[in-house]
This record gives sequence, structure tokens and C-alpha cells, in this order.
Amino acid sequence: MATVSKTLGLVGTGIRRESLLVLLVLAAAMAILAPNFLSLGNLINVLLATAVIGVLAIGVTFVLTGGGLDLSVGSVMAVAGVAMGVAYQSGLPWPLALSTGLAFGAFLGWCNAAVIVRSGVPPFIVTLGMLSVARGLALLLSDGRPIYGLSQEILFLGQGRVLGIPTPVWIFLLTTILGQFLISRTRFGYHTLALGDNETAARVVGIAIEALKARLYTLAGVMAALGGILFAARVNAADPTAGIGYELLAITAAVIGGTNLFGGRGTVVGTFIGALIMGVLQNGLNLMAVQPFYQQIAIGAVLVLAVWLDRMQSRNQT
Amino acid sequence: MKDVYKRFGAVEVLRGVSFALNGGEVLGLVGDNGAGKSTLMKLITGVYSVDSGEIWFDGRLLSSPRQTHTPARARGFGIEMVYQDLALAKQQDVAANIFLGREPVRHLLGILPIVDRRAMEIRAKFILDELGIKVPQLRVPVAWLSGGQQQTIAIARALSFNPKLLILDEPTAALAVKETEHVLEVIRELRNRGIGIVLISHRLPDIFAVTDRILVLRQGKVAADLVTKDTSMAEVVAHIVGAEPLRKGGLA
Amino acid sequence: MRTFLAITALVALFSAGLAMAQGRTVGVVLKTLANPFWGAMREGIEEGGKSVGLTLIIQAVPSEQDVEPQLNTCLNLLQRNVNALVVAAINATNLLPCIREANRRNIPVVDLDANLDPAILQREGLGVVFSISSDNRRAGGQAAEYLVQKKGNNFRGKVLIIEGLAGNPTSAARRDGFRERLTQLAPQASIVASLPGDWDRLKAANITNDVLQRHPDLAAIYAANDTMALGAVEALFAAGKGGQVVVIGTDGNADAVRSIRAGRLTASVAQLPYLVGFQALENLAKVLQGQTVPSRIIVPTLVIDREILEQGRDPLLKYLR
Repeated sequence: MATVSKTLGLVGTGIRRESLLVLLVLAAAMAILAPNFLSLGNLINVLLATAVIGVLAIGVTFVLTGGGLDLSVGSVMAVAGVAMGVAYQSGLPWPLALSTGLAFGAFLGWCNAAVIVRSGVPPFIVTLGMLSVARGLALLLSDGRPIYGLSQEILFLGQGRVLGIPTPVWIFLLTTILGQFLISRTRFGYHTLALGDNETAARVVGIAIEALKARLYTLAGVMAALGGILFAARVNAADPTAGIGYELLAITAAVIGGTNLFGGRGTVVGTFIGALIMGVLQNGLNLMAVQPFYQQIAIGAVLVLAVWLDRMQSRNQT
Repeated sequence: MKDVYKRFGAVEVLRGVSFALNGGEVLGLVGDNGAGKSTLMKLITGVYSVDSGEIWFDGRLLSSPRQTHTPARARGFGIEMVYQDLALAKQQDVAANIFLGREPVRHLLGILPIVDRRAMEIRAKFILDELGIKVPQLRVPVAWLSGGQQQTIAIARALSFNPKLLILDEPTAALAVKETEHVLEVIRELRNRGIGIVLISHRLPDIFAVTDRILVLRQGKVAADLVTKDTSMAEVVAHIVGAEPLRKGGLA
Repeated sequence: MRTFLAITALVALFSAGLAMAQGRTVGVVLKTLANPFWGAMREGIEEGGKSVGLTLIIQAVPSEQDVEPQLNTCLNLLQRNVNALVVAAINATNLLPCIREANRRNIPVVDLDANLDPAILQREGLGVVFSISSDNRRAGGQAAEYLVQKKGNNFRGKVLIIEGLAGNPTSAARRDGFRERLTQLAPQASIVASLPGDWDRLKAANITNDVLQRHPDLAAIYAANDTMALGAVEALFAAGKGGQVVVIGTDGNADAVRSIRAGRLTASVAQLPYLVGFQALENLAKVLQGQTVPSRIIVPTLVIDREILEQGRDPLLKYLR
């Protein structure tokens, strides 16, 4: 166990104990208040419901940690799913259709980086633009309607089960493990943290800033595409209107989990916990049959609370 | 270990500046804002290129109109600079900052390159101990350390490259008295190791405390090249400002 | 002590189990409560449930885009071991995994407001006990009938159709029903444009303005829902054409009723969501008691205009919410 947590970079890193605490307290509250919360089936449901946003959030974590911002992941999610659907329907075998979707996401992510680096326009604006462009592309490619009739193999990614656990949950967990390893144990991760912490310093010590940014945004694009594929597989159709608002939820999950919005600090496990916090909240409130509008209010409140807790804690330690 | 460089001149900002520095010498570089201090240093570190004249280092041509110079090249020559804003990644820990950009790597299962955290910490601790710097915990973000400690971390990073020439830009500007003394101690230690040091500072007491020579720049020209123990603060100020220089112990 | 606790726990569990077995719970997944149509539907469902003695758990999602959250909500309801499921799916496929699970557990599923596609259900090997809604095609047809009734069979004026979201089956059915019936009854009328207003008030207003520019002698507008119809009405009055153009909406919601009484909107083909909800529960109760019901249940729609509202004699009016 110790070697596992060391390899994952959990020991002595910025994984906020506060996020974990919030999650456990919330889960305990839900266990008391919400009927059926603690049942295995329900807990798996929570992971399942959180998987798509979680995967998006992991991609966004890298960009945020590197000091950037990506508002386009919701739209890229949709267009990648649509690209996969169109590819499959035009006769490509399903593995190629999946790759098409992922490649689309990678490409759009790379475009984000290219424009940001070359033009000097702030990431907020560039990715905001991509949010519209990608959405338009999705509607264009799909003619405005959902694409049904995806192959059984593709649908398995969203609706299948392996060892009794839904496939999206496996994918979410795997992505978390790989992502955490990447951000906390590799040079890529260290450089990303440096870039987000102090871009000038990173430049001065010789880190290849532009190449790094390209990788980060491309990674976010691929994660968005993965999320889009999982989404389409879950709801049986590649929907051009998918993912509206998901970019904000992804960023929220990352920030609740301890990622610094301005860069320089972030972990994938933290984001996993942040996404779970949101998932537990929604699931619990669902089980208690609380109106969905209250859920939105609750998520906003938890976000501010989580960041506030974090600031108080760091102030105590300085 | 000898560091030698000579005359050179540059257009506009620096006009015909010449000086020399040896290893184990601390040179104070003073002058008013806009006098050309940072430009001069940037020429040495390779951020800028020389328009006319030459810079020599260790017997080799560093920079001239025929010889382009880059930061990577400067590093290769053994020239390091610690910037005024320290260029530290404040949320990362001490070891990460010292090895920023060139974290040591080991291979997991023989193939997967991951950062060798333990080696990084051991080496960091070693460098800090050698400098006599005490940092309570290595794993804390450097933002939690005092200004003086942060300064020494930045110096430690520069030192990890084993430089022959170290340029310090306003290292004590934002520090309290005790921390300043600490940094000056480190500078003395480095001089004893034979490293050439250029100390850019507005704080003349610090200059007088630790330098062997003082170079005064005014409006891009060398206003004075003095030996520290033979001059006085008043004289240096006069050179900075451009008034008639007063000889030590003399009258106007 | 421990034995005592164990026994208490067992007794509690047993009685809880007994309690659950006796009452019948129905899980209801709606679209969004932000639309008065669904508010009325909810009311009908609640009263219907009460009238047949079923306990209800009603859930909705914040907006009509929340495809995945609706699926999650549906799955959560199954977790709560409901005896039946009533779903108003956002689109034809997003709830299929949930329906599959419900089928697997032999929990009857009701297709509320006919959002599911029977062809897709058949292909997936899934089943619902019945589907209940207004007939959208018929509703469009009724609008055409009303228009012809007002303008006469020789009506040769220009008509604008404002559709809903492009590709949406409800919108398509209403548009097609209207078009078909109009061509039948008044073959000389000309439909100058049929554009998607995305169910949006502002968009419909813009479309109306644009079409008015090209066809200042526009005679009638049919909109696939009231929100858009009201947007069109605003645009007309702003252009000084209020009262000169016949505007017919669909839904018959409270805003529309108010506008009709005020003499702005001409008419609306009122759906009776309250009745849909009520009858859905009535029929579900029959199914749970083992009776059979038709697999497709149509709830009538009613054309309302100022006259009909003021006379107040139509029996279906009481279901208008």
C-alpha cells in the first residue's frame, strides 16, 4: 500500500486532505439523510454518473495547473462524439471511428494551443471562441440531430459491465490513475506545475514553454473527446447538443479538488475527489427527491466553501 | 580558476564599457536607474548580443558582433544569474525549485522515466548544507519561507550548475537586516570558493560590506572603476550622480 | 446487548420491508419544471396518483439539455425499488439503458408524452406498457382547420410556419400535420416559409420580422408552440400589424390564454397536459392491477380562441391549466 501511494505520488504532495474530508462528511450526511445511499448499487451509480465529467475534469486539471484555461471542453466533447458517430455511419469499423473521435479532440485541443501561443490572445478568449466553433462544427457535422445506431462495441464502452462494474467507471478510474502518475511523477508534470506557477521562471530555466502548452491543451482535447465518446455510448446517441455547461462543471470539479485556478498546483486524484463530491451531492439530493434547482445552488455553494477552506488552511500554515 | 573579460562597447545604452573581473573577486555594479546595469548583464548572460566590441570569458570569446551569444551558451560557459524577482516557482517545494527544468530522472521498471524525488532532495540538501543554509523542511512550498531563505534558494539553484561567474541582481533589496547579513555571508563563502561574483545593488552599505571592487555606470558609460577599500560611499555616490568626485579625506 | 440490537434491527428491517411491499410507489422522471406545460403535467400526475392510491416520487432535471443527468436520475429511481416507472424522455434514446434495466426487473414503464420511438424500442428489444400523449400531428391539423374556418376554403393568403427545434419529432409532427391539413382544406393558400424557431420567443420574433420584410401581406402564422407564437405576436404588434395577421400557437399554456383574452394571440391548439398526466396514472393503476390498456393512448387537444374562452362551455376547458 505504501509503495502504491508513493508511486502515485500521494505522499507529501498537494493532495488536499480537506477535499477528502469534505467528501467523507458529505457521504456520511447523505448516508443518513438519503434512502439507499450506501447501497453498493447506488455507490456504483454515483461513479457512473460522475464518469464523463470526471474525465473532462482530468484533462482540464492539466491545463489549469499549467496556468491556462479551457472553456471549450464541453463543445469539443460534443463534436468528438459526433465525429465518431459520423465516421462509424460512413462505414468505418468501430475502432477507426473511435480513433477519429479522439483525433478530433486532440486536433481541436492543439488548435487552441497554437492560437494561444502564436497570437498572445488570452486562453479565456481563445477557448471561448473554440467553444462556439466546436459547437457549430458538431451541429454542422450532424445536421443538428443526434446520431443513433452506434455499434455494439462502442455502446459497450458506455453501457457494458466488466466484473460487474460499468465500463465508464473503469475508464474513469484508469484515467485517474494514469493522470495522477503523469502529473506528479514525471518531468512533464513537474514542468507543468512550474509553468503554471511562474511562466517567466519556467522560461528562464529553459523549459520549452510553447511545446508544453501544446501538449497540455491537446491532452485536454483528448480527454474531452474521451468524455464525448463515453457520453454517446451511455445515452445511445452522438448528440451535437451534448456537454452544454460541462466545461464549467469540469473546472468546478478540478477547483474543488484543489487545483489552483491560476496554476502551479493541481492533482488528478484531487480532481477525482472533487468530481465525486459533486456527484455525491447530486445523487444524494436526487435520492431525497430535492428539486434539481436546489442541486445547482448546492454545487455552487460547495465550490466556494471548498476554496475558502483551502485558503484558510494555507493562511494558517504560512 | 580565472574569469577574464575585457572591453566592449554597445550602441546607445552602453557606450564603450570596459572592465575586467577575476575569479574569487566580488565586483559591485552600481548606478542610477537606466544607467545600463541590467543591459550590461544581459549581454553577458546572452539575452542580448553585443553590437560592437567584445566580451571574453575564461580566455574564449563570449560575445561579439561576429559571435552570437545565447542564454544556453552562457550557461555552458559557466555563467549564472539570479534575477531580482528570483524566478522561483512559489508553490513548488525547495528541491523542485533548485532543480527546476532539469529534474533528475530514474527509470521505473527500467523503462519508464520518472522524477527521482529522493535523489533530488538529497542533492538539494547537500547544496544547501554546503552554503550553510538552514531550511526547516524541504517539502514545503517556497512561498512559506522567508524572503532571505527564498533568496538563498535561488542562489542555490544557480550554484547547482557549478558556475564560474555568478551575477546577483538586487539580492537584498527586499530583505530585513538579519536576512541581508545571511545573504552577504553566502556571497563571501562563494568568493572563497573562487567564483567570480557581480553584485548589482542600490544598497551601498551592502556593496561596501562585501565587494572587492566597484564599477559605477552612468548613462551607459563607465563613470568609475574603483577599489572598494580605497574609496568611500560619498565618492561612489558622487560618481553615480555625476558631481565632482571627492577624494577620500579631501575637500571639494 | 448485542443480541437485543440484532433483533431490533431485524424487526425494523422486516417492517420496513413489509411497509414497502404494501404501498405501491411509482417513479416519475420529467423533463424540466421550468416550462408551465410540465408544471401542469406534474399537477395532473400528482392528482392522478392520489386518485388511484399510488405513492409518487417525481423528479425532473434543470433543463431540456440535461440528457445525462436525466439518465442518472432514472437509474437512481430504480435504485429506490419503485414498482413502476413513468418517463418523459428528453430524446428517443437517452433513457434506453434505464428502460433496459426496468425491463430486466419486470418494472412496467410508461412513455409519457410519447418521446420514445417505437421502432428504436423494437430494435433494442425493449418494451413499454403504453405511450400516452396528445397527437401532435392532429394538433397541427386542428390549427389548419381553425385557420380555414376563419378565412374560408378559398383562402389564398400567405402563411408562415414557425417550427420548433430542428429535427425534433414533436415539432416535425405539428408542422407536417398543419401543412397536410391546410393543403387539403385550402389548396390555394401558400406557405411562404417554414423555419425553426428553436422553441425560442426571441428567435420566433426575429423570424417573423424577417418574413414580414419579404411578405408584408402575410396573412397567418402557425407556431409549433405558444412561446414562439407569442414572440411572433410581439413582432407583429411592434411592426404595426397587430390584429391583421392570424397567429395560432400550440400548447394553450397560461401565457397564451392571457394573450388570447387580451386580443393579441388569435388562438392556440391547447394540449391538456394535466389530463395527460392524470390519465397516465389512471391507466398505470389499471396495468398494475393486471388489466390491459391500449398501447397508444391519445389525449385530445382543444383549439381555444377568445370566443371559446369567453363562452366557457367546452367540457375540456376545465383541464386547461
